[in-house]
Amino acid sequence: MDARKKENGSLSMSCAEFQERLPELFESGTDFSNDPHLAACENCSALVRDLRYIAQQAKLLLPIHDPSPAVWENIQSALKKEPSGA
Amino acid sequence: MSTANKNLPASPGPTAPPKNPNQHMRRNPPIAGEAEAIGKAQAGDGVAFATLYALHKRRVYSLCLRMLGNVAEAEDLTQEAFLQLHRKIGTFRGDSAFSTWLHRLAVNVVLMHLRKKGLPQVSLEETLEPSQQDGQRKDIGARDLTLSGSIDRVTLERAVENLPPGYRLVFVLHDVEGYEHNEIASMLDCSIGNSKSQLHKARMKLRDLLRSGQRAEPADL
Repeated sequence: MDARKKENGSLSMSCAEFQERLPELFESGTDFSNDPHLAACENCSALVRDLRYIAQQAKLLLPIHDPSPAVWENIQSALKKEPSGA
Repeated sequence: MSTANKNLPASPGPTAPPKNPNQHMRRNPPIAGEAEAIGKAQAGDGVAFATLYALHKRRVYSLCLRMLGNVAEAEDLTQEAFLQLHRKIGTFRGDSAFSTWLHRLAVNVVLMHLRKKGLPQVSLEETLEPSQQDGQRKDIGARDLTLSGSIDRVTLERAVENLPPGYRLVFVLHDVEGYEHNEIASMLDCSIGNSKSQLHKARMKLRDLLRSGQRAEPADL
C-alpha cells in the first residue's frame, strides 16, 4: 500500500491539489477506489461522491416536458405559408 | 421538393411511447414506425411529418428548455427546429440515427438563437471563463452535507435551471444529452479543454446549489 502511495505521489497531496486535478481525473475515467488522498480525506471523498452522483442523476433527466399545443399549431400555420416544392 | 405543408393533420397524433426509464435517451435506438415516417415525410407526406413531430417533440422541447431556461423561448425554438426539420429532412441520409441528427439540428437552432441575441453565453471566450467565484473555488472543509441518494429529479432540474448560462449549456450537452467533449467543442467553437473545465465547474456549481437548497426551505432553491 505504501509503495502504491509513493507511486502515484498523492500521499502528501493537499485537498487543493487533489481538487485541482479532479477535472482531469474525472475525464480520464480514473478509478478512485484506491486513491490514497481519498482514503484519508473525508471531505474530498464526499466531493467525488457528489460529483459522480450529479453526473449519474443528470443522465436520468428524461425529457418529460411537452410543448404546448400552440407550438404544433404555429408549425402548421408556418408550413402553410411556406412555398411548396421548396 | 417537399410538399409536406399540404395534408397536415389537425393534431400531431400520439406522443412517443415512454422510453425505458433506465435507459439514457441521448443516443436513441430507432423508434418503431420512425423509418417509415421519415421516408414518407421526405416525400412530402404531412401526416408522416406530424408523426415525427409527435415522436420527437418532447425531447426537442426538453432540450431547448434546458439549454435556455425559458419556456417561451423554448417553445419558439422548438417550433423553429421543426420548421428547419421540414426544410431539411430531404438531406437526411441515415448516416446517424435520426434522433441524433434532429437533436443536433435543434442544438444548432438554440446556439444560433443565442448568438443572434448577442448574449455572453455563446461568446465562448466569456462563456467558458465565468467569474472565478462560480464553481471554481475549492471545497476544502465543507463536509457538513453530502448529496448522494438525496436528490430527486425535480430538484436537480431546478438546480440546472439556476446554473449560469455558460455552465448550463455544457452541462446539458454533456451530462444530460450525452455529447462528447470534442462534439461540444465543435458546436461551441471552443477547445476541448475548455469544455471539460466548464463541465467540472458546472458540476461544482450544481453541488453548491443543491447543498444550499437542502439547507434552505425547499421552495427557496
